[in-house]
Amino acid sequence: MLEINNLKSRIGDTEILRGLSLSVNAGEVHAIMGPNGSGKSTLALVIAGHEDYVVTDGEVLYNGKNLLDLEPEERAREGVFLGFQYPVEIPGVNNAYLLKAAVNAKRKHKGLGEVDAFEFLKLAREKMASLGMDPKFLNRGVNEGFSGGEKKRNEILQMAMLEPSLAILDETDSGLDIDALKAVAQGVNSLRGPDRAIVLITHYQRLLDYIEPDFVHVLSEGRIVRSGDKTLALELEEKGYDWVREAASA
Amino acid sequence: MKQVALSINELREAVLRLPDDALTATRKAALANLDEHGLPTVRDEDWKYTDLGTAIDISNRWLATGATTADTSSLGKSIETIMASIDANWLIIANGIVDLTHFTATQGIEVERFSESAAPFVMDRPLADLNAALLHDGLRVHINAATEKPLGLIVIDEASTGAAVSQASVEIMVSPGCDAEIVEYQSSVGEGDHYANSVIALQVGEAALVNYVRIQDRRIGHVQTGRLSVSMGKDSQLKMASFDLGGGLIRNDVDIEIGEPGSVTTFDGLYLAGDGQHIDNHTRVDHRVGPASSTQEYRGILNGRCRCVWNGKAIVHVGADGTDANQANHNLLLSEHAEIDAKPELEIYADDVKCSHGTTVGQLDDTALFYLRTRGLDKRQATQLLTHAFAADLVGRVPVAAAIDKIQSLVEARLADLIQEDAS
Repeated sequence: MLEINNLKSRIGDTEILRGLSLSVNAGEVHAIMGPNGSGKSTLALVIAGHEDYVVTDGEVLYNGKNLLDLEPEERAREGVFLGFQYPVEIPGVNNAYLLKAAVNAKRKHKGLGEVDAFEFLKLAREKMASLGMDPKFLNRGVNEGFSGGEKKRNEILQMAMLEPSLAILDETDSGLDIDALKAVAQGVNSLRGPDRAIVLITHYQRLLDYIEPDFVHVLSEGRIVRSGDKTLALELEEKGYDWVREAASA
Repeated sequence: MKQVALSINELREAVLRLPDDALTATRKAALANLDEHGLPTVRDEDWKYTDLGTAIDISNRWLATGATTADTSSLGKSIETIMASIDANWLIIANGIVDLTHFTATQGIEVERFSESAAPFVMDRPLADLNAALLHDGLRVHINAATEKPLGLIVIDEASTGAAVSQASVEIMVSPGCDAEIVEYQSSVGEGDHYANSVIALQVGEAALVNYVRIQDRRIGHVQTGRLSVSMGKDSQLKMASFDLGGGLIRNDVDIEIGEPGSVTTFDGLYLAGDGQHIDNHTRVDHRVGPASSTQEYRGILNGRCRCVWNGKAIVHVGADGTDANQANHNLLLSEHAEIDAKPELEIYADDVKCSHGTTVGQLDDTALFYLRTRGLDKRQATQLLTHAFAADLVGRVPVAAAIDKIQSLVEARLADLIQEDAS
């Protein structure tokens, strides 16, 4: 589904990704771990299409298509979803309105008509209940005045409504208490399926107690330096990132 | 740069052609003032950003072609459309001619024509003098009790060909202890050039509570100058919101006089400007006694080649202790050719006061734009959502319920047009 080959990217004069390669198949859950500044968020933003990140080399193929040729909105409509590390507060833009506009943009792309307003609300309320979100958040400004945990739940709500093929969740666990973490993990797990791939970007192993990955990769200085199964995350937790850095430079 | 002068001789002839009635003496006094002082130019501090040249040019062409008043019958449809969109009891001034046929006599509201009662007070301000000199007739309204529907005022003009000028003048007195809702709707149609000049005086009685909405939806290219003078009674309250959506050259002056203690004034303004528009909002609040508070928030969204001005003046006079004066002006510039002159002016001559002012000028938030695009919205949709959000606070605070839907749809439509004008 996602094929990244020798990806190099910089912001301004700073090179961040330095030849990253990664292959993700449908049905798989991958965790990308790494110390701060290793390029985890950059990878997420490059895949989503942030224009500040210039790709200088390599390719990103999504279902065989060159993803880097597409505008951010086209990537979204094709089924790529980025759950932001810092979801943006947009006062004055109604949360329900954005959700509906997003769902409709995707439906239009697929040649479908607009979603039925009643069905949409019903589905949104159901998803919110399973995420432990108060339905009143539907009528608030997007992330406006939301706590850290509420913002992350809202990202998962958007993901659940959009049903992406490829979901990249950037530090979705940061700032969550244990209840929120469980709710978010449940939301992610309920989306697991044979047609879908999920990439979890995280600094800590904790999230992986609740969402069990098929593969774990360690990112360091813009490259994947080590890949393995879920036991790699536990090993990392125990030995720390220095262990990987030393192993990589050895 | 020398500004064209108003053709004062032709103006005098036009004034003398008006019927001899209760307004005659006022017209002559106003004409004499105007003859002595002339109209303001960009050399005047209050007018340095706004050149009245277009208004004077239209006036001179109108005067040269006989200063006639156009037939108002073709405005019927436009008037009906406005009346259908807001449920109010409407007073109409069409092409400067007072029309009371749509007004339903209501307990609690008294309406008189200036020509049948007494002439308005001469303000001795150049544009108010021009207004008084050329005034056919005006309206004096007493609101003595709360009414079911808001009081509506439509000031509408048509310039089908050539150049036309019209004046509107209204005095509204809200009695002590009375609640009142007022909607003012300024509009115009026609391919010709038009200059409308209005003077509105609002007196808010002791402990009265007034909610006032102003909508300016003139044809793009038409000229409007207007002065709203408010005097706040003891312990009175005014909530006001103005929306400038159309017009070419627009200059609004709002003066608020606080001469008695205890009043609370809040007023908002939203201006949406695109190619060729110039929208100037000048506000002035005179705090002469305390305690009293005034709070204003103006917001602008500008695209294409346009210029807007916000100049908010608050003067806290000697002895006006306990004054609380707040000003805010925020602007969103969607084009590098859009220009805003934002100028807060606070003059404080008392000790125990709380005053604040803040102005911002910015572009759309790139982070928010990107966020929305990652949710599948294209750039235009995302831009529209964000500009809409910028206006939403003020639209959400419209103090007259009957006008909310209309204002929402006008703002939405204007924003959609503005964004169509492709940000460059």
